[in-house]
Amino acid sequence: MIMRKTLIAVSLSIASTLSIAAGENNVGSCGWGTKIFTGQSGVFPQALAGITNGTFGNQTFAISSGTSGCTQDGTVASSWQTAAFIDGNKEKLARDLSRGSGESLDSLVALMGVEQQDRARFVQVARDNLARIFPSSSASTDEIRAGLREVLSADQSLAVYSARV
Amino acid sequence: MFFCPHAVIIRCLLTIAVLAGASLPAAGANYGDALVVRARALALHERREWQLLLHYRPRAFGRTRSAADDPAFFNSPRGATDPAAELEATLRAFFSTIEQTDTRQNPQCRFIARYRWLRSMLDFDPARLPERPCARYERWRARLAPSRVTLVFPTAYLNSPASMYGHTLLRIDGSDQNDRTRLLAYAINFAAQTDEGNGLVFAWRGLLGGYAGRFSMMPYYVKVAEYSDLESRDIWEYELDLAPARIDRMLEHVWELGPIRFDYYFLDENCSYQLLSLLDVARPDLNLTERFPLWAIPADTVRAVTDVPGLVRRVVYRPARSTELTYRAAFAPPSEARLARTLAAGEVALDAPVLGALPASERARVLELAYDELDYRRLAGKAHGEDVPGRLRDLLVARSRLPATTPVPTPPEPTTRPDQGHRSARLSVGAGTTAGDGFQELQYRGAYHDLLDPEPGYRRGSQIEFGNIAVRHENDNGLRLERVGIIDVNSIAPRDALLKPVSWQADFGFERTRAADESRPLLFQASGGVGLAQSLGDTGFAWAMVNVGIVVSGRFDPGVGLGAGLSAGLMLNVTPRWRLLASARSLHYAVEGPGERSSVALGQSVTLAPDLALRIEADVRREFGVRWSTIGAYLQWYFQ
Repeated sequence: MIMRKTLIAVSLSIASTLSIAAGENNVGSCGWGTKIFTGQSGVFPQALAGITNGTFGNQTFAISSGTSGCTQDGTVASSWQTAAFIDGNKEKLARDLSRGSGESLDSLVALMGVEQQDRARFVQVARDNLARIFPSSSASTDEIRAGLREVLSADQSLAVYSARV
Repeated sequence: MFFCPHAVIIRCLLTIAVLAGASLPAAGANYGDALVVRARALALHERREWQLLLHYRPRAFGRTRSAADDPAFFNSPRGATDPAAELEATLRAFFSTIEQTDTRQNPQCRFIARYRWLRSMLDFDPARLPERPCARYERWRARLAPSRVTLVFPTAYLNSPASMYGHTLLRIDGSDQNDRTRLLAYAINFAAQTDEGNGLVFAWRGLLGGYAGRFSMMPYYVKVAEYSDLESRDIWEYELDLAPARIDRMLEHVWELGPIRFDYYFLDENCSYQLLSLLDVARPDLNLTERFPLWAIPADTVRAVTDVPGLVRRVVYRPARSTELTYRAAFAPPSEARLARTLAAGEVALDAPVLGALPASERARVLELAYDELDYRRLAGKAHGEDVPGRLRDLLVARSRLPATTPVPTPPEPTTRPDQGHRSARLSVGAGTTAGDGFQELQYRGAYHDLLDPEPGYRRGSQIEFGNIAVRHENDNGLRLERVGIIDVNSIAPRDALLKPVSWQADFGFERTRAADESRPLLFQASGGVGLAQSLGDTGFAWAMVNVGIVVSGRFDPGVGLGAGLSAGLMLNVTPRWRLLASARSLHYAVEGPGERSSVALGQSVTLAPDLALRIEADVRREFGVRWSTIGAYLQWYFQ
């Protein structure tokens, strides 16, 4: 019973193998995706935890914890924002792209600074190439970024954005 | 700004001091002394701003103590209990010449809210107290680009007691975002730090403040994924009307709180309480924390915020992913919903003629629904097959080959927001007859909602009551404590084609039974149960459970009995204002003599006004061989 809520690493599962340029901290070190929610198991322990109003929110990082990793004092370093966003929203991005609209897609487009006049084309090109951007069901953030970069650079009017992935 | 009668004298003293000490290297110390003298004269340590910035709370015997449990939060060793000493030590710390590094800050930056407030109060002379650049703070603030603050309230988690009260966090909305890109904002969260997997240990230590609570930040999309996607919780976003200077004061203070430990108490010093303390810092006139001296239920704290005229600019509803899915599944024609389900289950291939025969727009809708269903089941841990990820990807690729023009229906916003529901404390007065004897009764319930209470704003089928005390005067037995219910939780979660939750209940407390000689012995009882529930459309729901329990009373030998049995219930919303609850329950305990404890009850409640209801309850009980019936009517007032 059972509502055994196992650790779900799902959409935010950050591939621990993900590594980018040597010597740089990778997205994985942001840490917030690896363990979103470790649920309590069994009905009755939950009952008791329930009345206590607790959240099982696992801490991510302290606000002033320094500048290690891809974060600086609790915010994501500018150079990592797009990577971190893709990492945290893989499934939803794929879903939005398959339909051609959605909040995650809008956010990505904004984060990458895609100009208003290029947005429709950006969505159309990315959508047409969904299978390339998400080459497998377990595509890593790196693979997705590489796929998106490739698709964008192949398009004349969007090539400028490939460096922002 | 403020008139200071001592200013002239102090300026003279300062002038003398500066003239006298001009050649000395310790000129800063003299100016520090002067600032301390001035702060004392102004009694700045008694100002509300200072009290809020240091999280001082009044304690017994006129003492004061900070809620922060971390020496790093104070400049004085006595700072936790002595506001004046802390203020003096803080002023002196501002003269520090420490240079900023990645792990260390100058006190002016480390305590930037204190610094800026004291600077505005004491008008620091930059020649004698040089202002330090706070590059790290400025970079952090620039990245937040704050334009608004939003109070975010993820509601109760379907059938999960771990969050039946909900949770609150703050979101800093950036000037570079809009409603479509709000995922990119940052959230400020306060939570207990623990990896405890045992709910009982977690609950116990949490009640006693055994965990460190800390503020943390993360992109809002992380929180949306956690609450909306994984936990199926609808989210309400209350955008606040705070002037830019107020927001800055708050952020300066958040900066100070980053690494600070607060003991986490589930009931009072919890997430919601701590967020209110941030809003109090932004607007010291709000006095929000003072409204919650004993416990802070997240929904109540949201209500406290919406109670302040003009503080909430607007409210945005963000339905959980499962809410959207359920709505879309119900919206789709039955044949499409069925096809989507077989596609999701992998029983029909993507190139099946039955799918190909549909017009493109309908095919698109079916593929979307199939994906959403399968992905929901995967997130819920109910789709384990190795082929699931591949099937999900195939569904998306197939969908991407169809035109992008499916109108996506979104669930309507509920007519009653959580903050518009009834208030959570309840006082009831009533009268009736029991076993042929008249009685009058007064009840107080600390919190929060039972099944018969007005439903709007609360999650259907979720009951949590704690601190339910009844005092009864019976014409034959006199005035007595009738009941002390400590906890009574019901989580009735109807099952449908998509979601198959388990329903459960748990309760414990003291109550009076009835002996053959008409006396009313007190017993302690605890019980728990699990079962299944069925929805009856919009009208209500029905459930059945298997229960186990324990009774403890001096009238048994031995004084403890274990029991087991069954229970069932039917809840009907006859009209929006009239609710009806029929229930039956029978447990048999292993005690000497007849061990049956059974009841059949019919309760109804009529909403008279937003915070007023009339309840009529009738029941027949058989307990340990004695049978009696009770009927009572109660006027119930919701408050707090």
